[in-house]
Amino acid sequence: MQPENLAYALAQVVHNFGAVAVVGGAAFALWAGASSSRREAGLARLVGLGWAVQLASGTGLGAVSYYYYGRLPELHPVALAALDIKIGCAVAGLAVALRFLYRAESWNEGRRKLAWQALTALGAAALAAAAFLRWFS
Amino acid sequence: MARAAFLLSASLSLLPGVALAAAEEPGVRITAPVDGARLDGMDLTRLVYEVRPGPKGDHVHVYVGGKEIGILRQLKGSYTLEPLPAGAQDLCIKVVNKAHVPIGVEQCVKVVVE
Repeated sequence: MQPENLAYALAQVVHNFGAVAVVGGAAFALWAGASSSRREAGLARLVGLGWAVQLASGTGLGAVSYYYYGRLPELHPVALAALDIKIGCAVAGLAVALRFLYRAESWNEGRRKLAWQALTALGAAALAAAAFLRWFS
Repeated sequence: MARAAFLLSASLSLLPGVALAAAEEPGVRITAPVDGARLDGMDLTRLVYEVRPGPKGDHVHVYVGGKEIGILRQLKGSYTLEPLPAGAQDLCIKVVNKAHVPIGVEQCVKVVVE
């Protein structure tokens, strides 16, 4: 087993679970409905943690490349645009989740729903961009 | 025995057509256009190549003037380039791993577009 493949695989495992957390957590809150503000806060924590994990593990994948080859991946312009979208979604998703955690108590139901819609859309956009990043490189 | 193997390997390596196939080491061979070729800027240029990715390689990237313009998953074939700008151009093929990182196996040819 090549150690670099193991390193890539472990970073990818973390990245995949992060993707599940950001999309699944937001979609669950939106469609299944959060029965209490405590449960909503728990889901916001999960989604926020998921986005932080996405940023860290994405950086980790680049770091593995740099460690083993001394260079970063070379990306086609389409893949580069997809990567920019993913990073933008992660930063925005983390910001919305943190804002939800600290401010949602004073928000009305409509505003909280809007936040979950935004988080679901950001997760879906990042997931779609990931496919273009994978196959246009 | 070892001497015979060495002589066979050395003689095969003198034949450009079999050198890449005979050696199990990773490599890239661009057979067209040849290094130093003069191309018509109005024509579509076919980049003909053969790749042995080795254990670390996965697919190849195509570059014109250092800019990535294509992704190839076939190890042997051709890629039609868009009309190239006039002047000297470097055409390169690099073997990359699954994470799209060049693994150091590549070949470039210099052409002049008129």
